[in-house]
Amino acid sequence: MLSESPRHEPGPEWRGRDYVLTAVVIIAAAGFCALVQGPVWNTDPALAGANLTVSVLFVFTGWMLRREPGQRGVAWALMIAGLLRSLDFVDAWSGAPWAVYDLLFGAADRVLGAYALLRYPNPSLLRHQRVYLVLLAGWMLVGRMLIMVTALPQWDGVPASSWWPSLIPDMQLNDVINYVVNAGQGLFAVALIVLLVMRLLRTTGLDRIVITPIMVAGLAAVIAAAASAVTQMLSALNGTPNGVYTVESAVDLTIPLAFLVAAMQRTLLLRNITALTAQISGGADIGAVRYALRSTLHDPTLEVLETEHGGPVLEEQPSDRLVEFIRTEEGSPIAVVIADPALARYRGLFDAAVQTSGLALKNAQLQAQAAREKLEQVRASRTRIVEAGLAERRRIERDLHDGVQQHLLGLAAQLTVAMTDTADAAAYGALAQVRDGLREVLAELRDLAHGIHPAVLSQTGLAAALEDVAERLPLPVRVTVPATRVATAVEATAYFVACEALANVVKHARAGSATVTVSVDESRLDLQIADDGVGGVTSRGHGLSNIVDRVNALDGEVTIVSPPGQGTCLEVRIPCG
Amino acid sequence: MRLAIADDSGLFRSSLTLLLKASGAEVTASRASGVELLAAIRTNPPDAVILDIRMPPSFTDEGVSTAAELRRLNPRVGILVLSTYAETSYASQLLETVPTGVGYLLKDNVTDAGTLMDSLARVADGETVIDPTIVRRLLRRNRKPSKIDALNERERTVLRHMAEGRSNLGIAKELFLSARTVEAHVTSIFLKLGLDQADTDNNRVRAVLAFLRSADAGN
Repeated sequence: MLSESPRHEPGPEWRGRDYVLTAVVIIAAAGFCALVQGPVWNTDPALAGANLTVSVLFVFTGWMLRREPGQRGVAWALMIAGLLRSLDFVDAWSGAPWAVYDLLFGAADRVLGAYALLRYPNPSLLRHQRVYLVLLAGWMLVGRMLIMVTALPQWDGVPASSWWPSLIPDMQLNDVINYVVNAGQGLFAVALIVLLVMRLLRTTGLDRIVITPIMVAGLAAVIAAAASAVTQMLSALNGTPNGVYTVESAVDLTIPLAFLVAAMQRTLLLRNITALTAQISGGADIGAVRYALRSTLHDPTLEVLETEHGGPVLEEQPSDRLVEFIRTEEGSPIAVVIADPALARYRGLFDAAVQTSGLALKNAQLQAQAAREKLEQVRASRTRIVEAGLAERRRIERDLHDGVQQHLLGLAAQLTVAMTDTADAAAYGALAQVRDGLREVLAELRDLAHGIHPAVLSQTGLAAALEDVAERLPLPVRVTVPATRVATAVEATAYFVACEALANVVKHARAGSATVTVSVDESRLDLQIADDGVGGVTSRGHGLSNIVDRVNALDGEVTIVSPPGQGTCLEVRIPCG
Repeated sequence: MRLAIADDSGLFRSSLTLLLKASGAEVTASRASGVELLAAIRTNPPDAVILDIRMPPSFTDEGVSTAAELRRLNPRVGILVLSTYAETSYASQLLETVPTGVGYLLKDNVTDAGTLMDSLARVADGETVIDPTIVRRLLRRNRKPSKIDALNERERTVLRHMAEGRSNLGIAKELFLSARTVEAHVTSIFLKLGLDQADTDNNRVRAVLAFLRSADAGN
């Protein structure tokens, strides 16, 4: 069914040739229609005018519809129906062949009209629709034939001398047949109403928007035709008043208008795609694209799925759905759109919407990639900054150790020599004082160097360094640290965070004991510092903000749990490896 | 006493040499790295050597590796590591590598010629000497339960003095106890740590090691 519809809608742009051709077709149709109903212009100009207008509009609508994909059949049906409509009045010309023609084929335009109403905009008819149309055509042809063979020409207002295939002229039988045929026409009209309402109810999405005006106009026309049939039936003996035909023509006028409205609807829908483009072209995620496509294409069952790493997302493509892949410039699929197969009839619309969505998704991917690269750069530069800071601290510590510290120690040794050489008690006392001061300075200097960067951290690792910190504290601290070495920046950050946190414990927590626990896996280092103190730590303290800054610099996270009276637990996660 | 020095600070080396000479020792070699020192004392080993911990070429723990190498080449030479680092991890590392005739002192001890010379004499005698600052730190450490916990307060004090390298007599003097009482404590310590009663000298070292290890693994 889908394969019948052409892949692309013909381009909407009109060239000069199209305008000329259209004008020629319209003028030719108008001339033909005016000509065939010649005598009516004298007897009932209003009816003739209405007929001409309806006919020309049908032809025009059919002509325009020709351009729509898969609608050639409907287009020709409308054009022929328009011409036949005027041809119906050919019997106004005297002469039997015209009357015979009218009696036999006068209903052909209705059959064609019913065909157009039932089919548009589908590419083909459903089975029950086809059955209906065949029965209708058969009923009209056979019924009218029976009327003709049981009548004499004069009964139908045709001169008795005219050629007429009267086989068994019988006025009573003719009346009965006339009655039955007209009643049957009424029933067919009712059946058509039911079929049209069923179509309208069953149609969803874009189809519904497009066919609603046509269905409404069709229903009005069918009702008018039914009313006309009843009138003809009731007034069979007196002849039908021309006014009935005029009203019927006026109602029929709505059908080509409805088809034109439908064509306009399609144009409007295309404009919606422009709105869609504006809405998501800046880049949108799959959810936004799905929502935009569903609302633009009026298909709530539409699905957009991302293909994973360029591989096919569908194990098997659903055969009863419309499937379209969105691809990168290189041709690898990035997403797939699965939609109502009815959208195949709006291929141009559908393709435009999918193309727009593809653009949006590609833009979003590019943006995400750019953001990722930027983030990666920022991360790398932050790590470099942290590492540079660490290297600087290590350098200062080494300078202190190798320079000032050794120098002072040398002086201390010389002072000791001087003391051993000194016999004078007063001088010895003075030197002893200097020595005591020197000892204090040396201890302070050692602590200072250690505080800037503990040599043990880079040489032996986090475990030894943290145990060393724990030894210096005035409360028992249980240290559980694996011997695993991790990146220098991560080790140093964990070390300084633990020091800062333990300093806070000593200063504020009034804790009886504390624990420091580190665990390391290939992707991150977890550090936990817990105490049994007073708790109630808020995340605003200066010490804590230092910790958060250091951890954030390496893209880590800090959580603190500190209910009043129940101790404090600081947890730090730093990505590594 | 004949001594040799390896330290990458020339100023400290020369000052220390002065101090050692003033204290009556003879300095047979003074070099800037462990490797150079080992080469210098190969033919004529001293009674003890003084090593810095961080020296060329890598400036990490050359003192420890030089000590190990020296002990392998010449088991009788006493080794005293003089360090600016008060971290216990270096001391434990040293004792793991070279268990006897070795000492770890802070360089600050150059302000006390007596302690320095005494420590050198002890390591030359095969004893083990640890800086009191480090021993205090080890004692403060929060450790895993171990055999050390079975010791009572007095025994632990005696063990700490043993770790600092004192003899039974020295401990007795320090704690104002009789030598016999200290001996009883030491026996009790060995018993509680599950050490062989007969091998008194090595037991001292083992007890001290157990003490340091329990502290080192105290996490």
